[in-house]
Amino acid sequence: MHAQPLIELRRVYRNFRQGRNTVPVLQDINLEIYPNEVLCLVGESGCGKTTTGKIIAGLLNTSSGEMVFEGKSFDALEGEAKADARRALQIIHQDPFASLNPSHTIEQILRFPLRRHKLAENNAALRRRIWELLTMVDLTPPGDIVNKYPHQLSGGQRQRVSIARALTVQPRLIVADEAVSMVDVSIRISLLKMLQDLRRRLGMAIVFVTHDLALAKYFAWEGRIAVMYLGRIVEIGPTPQIIQNPSHPYTKALIAAIPEADPDLARSKQPMPLRSEDIPRLTEMPPGCAFHPRCPFFVEGMCDVAVPELAPAPGYDQRVACWPLNRGEPLRLHDPTLETS
Amino acid sequence: MNDVVLSVRDLSISYLVRRGRLKAVQNVSFDLHRGETLALIGESACGKSTLNLGLMRLLPKTARIDGGQLIYTRRDNTPIDILKLKPRDLRRFRWQECAMVFQAALNSLNPVIRVQDMVYDTARAHGETNRDRVKKRIMELFRLVRLDPDRVFNAYPHELSGGMRQRVLIALSVLLEPQILLLDEPTTALDILTQRAILEILKDLRRQLGLSIIFISHDLSIAAEIADTVATMYAGHIVEKGPVGDVFYRSRHAYTRGLLDAVPKLEGDAQELASIPGSPPDLIDPPTGCKFHPRCGFATDRCHDDLPALIPVGAEHHLAACWESDQVYAVTQEKREHARATAD
Repeated sequence: MHAQPLIELRRVYRNFRQGRNTVPVLQDINLEIYPNEVLCLVGESGCGKTTTGKIIAGLLNTSSGEMVFEGKSFDALEGEAKADARRALQIIHQDPFASLNPSHTIEQILRFPLRRHKLAENNAALRRRIWELLTMVDLTPPGDIVNKYPHQLSGGQRQRVSIARALTVQPRLIVADEAVSMVDVSIRISLLKMLQDLRRRLGMAIVFVTHDLALAKYFAWEGRIAVMYLGRIVEIGPTPQIIQNPSHPYTKALIAAIPEADPDLARSKQPMPLRSEDIPRLTEMPPGCAFHPRCPFFVEGMCDVAVPELAPAPGYDQRVACWPLNRGEPLRLHDPTLETS
Repeated sequence: MNDVVLSVRDLSISYLVRRGRLKAVQNVSFDLHRGETLALIGESACGKSTLNLGLMRLLPKTARIDGGQLIYTRRDNTPIDILKLKPRDLRRFRWQECAMVFQAALNSLNPVIRVQDMVYDTARAHGETNRDRVKKRIMELFRLVRLDPDRVFNAYPHELSGGMRQRVLIALSVLLEPQILLLDEPTTALDILTQRAILEILKDLRRQLGLSIIFISHDLSIAAEIADTVATMYAGHIVEKGPVGDVFYRSRHAYTRGLLDAVPKLEGDAQELASIPGSPPDLIDPPTGCKFHPRCGFATDRCHDDLPALIPVGAEHHLAACWESDQVYAVTQEKREHARATAD
């Protein structure tokens, strides 16, 4: 359907050093992101979603594997091509209190990237562009905003400034890392609507990183969701399928566990019982599928032996990494009495 | 029959800040019944945490209780005026009568002592010196919160995960058999599956120990799940309060309505959602009349001029402070009808 992905991650691994230990934060991530699409990376803390986001934004190297930008290896790019790729990939951070320099005015914050990348010919053009950007993110009238410092703005307004700053360089992809999680519930939706609107108007792809599956559903209804668990993508596919017909046991457990803002629905929901509530440490990963120690559908001798690949599963539109599903077998509750010696 | 454990009347709390007095809680009144779970929901800076701290008189020095009454009823039915308690009695009241679980579980546990020492210290500070009895009790509680008692009892906080620490705190909070448990965003920093486990544990605890719970959260979905009664707070005021079904399905306040329209659901197809325009008011110089009127689509001149009182509306025990509550209700019903029609 698409000619060429904007970004490709090919067998990407990423380790971090922690004292004497090496922590494998990402393992074998394969992902394509197409122009103009919305992709949500969903998972719990420590699953590697932010690390993946940073690699996509070109802010972090891979330990092995390749990040490919428009068909060319990102690491091999040089000179103007590299600068172009850097401009094309932008990120909005979670905390708008930390991501804006408190001693610069909003005008200075927006002027810096415009100057640095020579995106305005003279001061008048610079000023026009800053005005235009602030209008795009609904900070109007811009005249009231330009001379303010970040602390004089509300959290929502600050996040709008972060978005305007990302837009200065006319990116083709924005990674939004938990971009609304620190913003009050009552104004989150307006930020998300604005991002979607900008995406359509300016032709950008958005990678939306979040732990909130309901928010992902709202934001990426016409896009895709990738569910991550302990450094791997366990399920990826069109949003409606992931939410309404989840395949991977972990996704099923997540969806069953999320409370709904509706008393009748919330109280009729059946949580999925797990074999264990403890999440394994990344330094002591279980063999085989990382979810098998908690998975109620675990099959001995299969799930605990080798890691399943992200692959199609009969009966589902999405791709999933689950041994029984990939083989077209139904999920059967693991019977603990079978667990001998 | 008197089954009210905590009665709050016209409680007002303000903070002294450089620009003046910040009115964090304004004329808040409610009753908490035995075995009831009350969820206080609202956004940041709506006064919900201040109210919670005020209930236990744990406010920082810059805060002042400007007025009101807090009456607590002990198990033997003697009423206690919390605001008049002497320091010694106040210490007794905290934890033995009313305990609190804070949001950041890591910061609430002493990192350099073992969990068992924290347990013994807590018991001793409240006059319980029989270590065997304390140990027996906490082991039971650890089992109740689904922890491995032996492992946790001897552990240091850093050896436990976030969810385990939160469960230790919950067990510790009910060690001295309080009647009331105050929970400030107890699941906010936790993962979804851990959050699910904590919610199930709270339901168990409530059933087995007959606790009355005040639950503070910005998360409507958690209120929907465990609350009997929901109170919405805005700019220091309780603006709507009622049984959970009434507040969610028959909202009578424009702010509650707005919040519900801003929260996505997992169930169903794509949703029409909308933010509430504007931002929360300055509590040092709040707007006149209804504090919500500058952001409210239902506002009239009266909303601008006069502060509406929290009065009964619709069903029994359902209260709202909104001049246009009938209009809000009509819109709520229209939306439900529409949702039902499209679902069929």
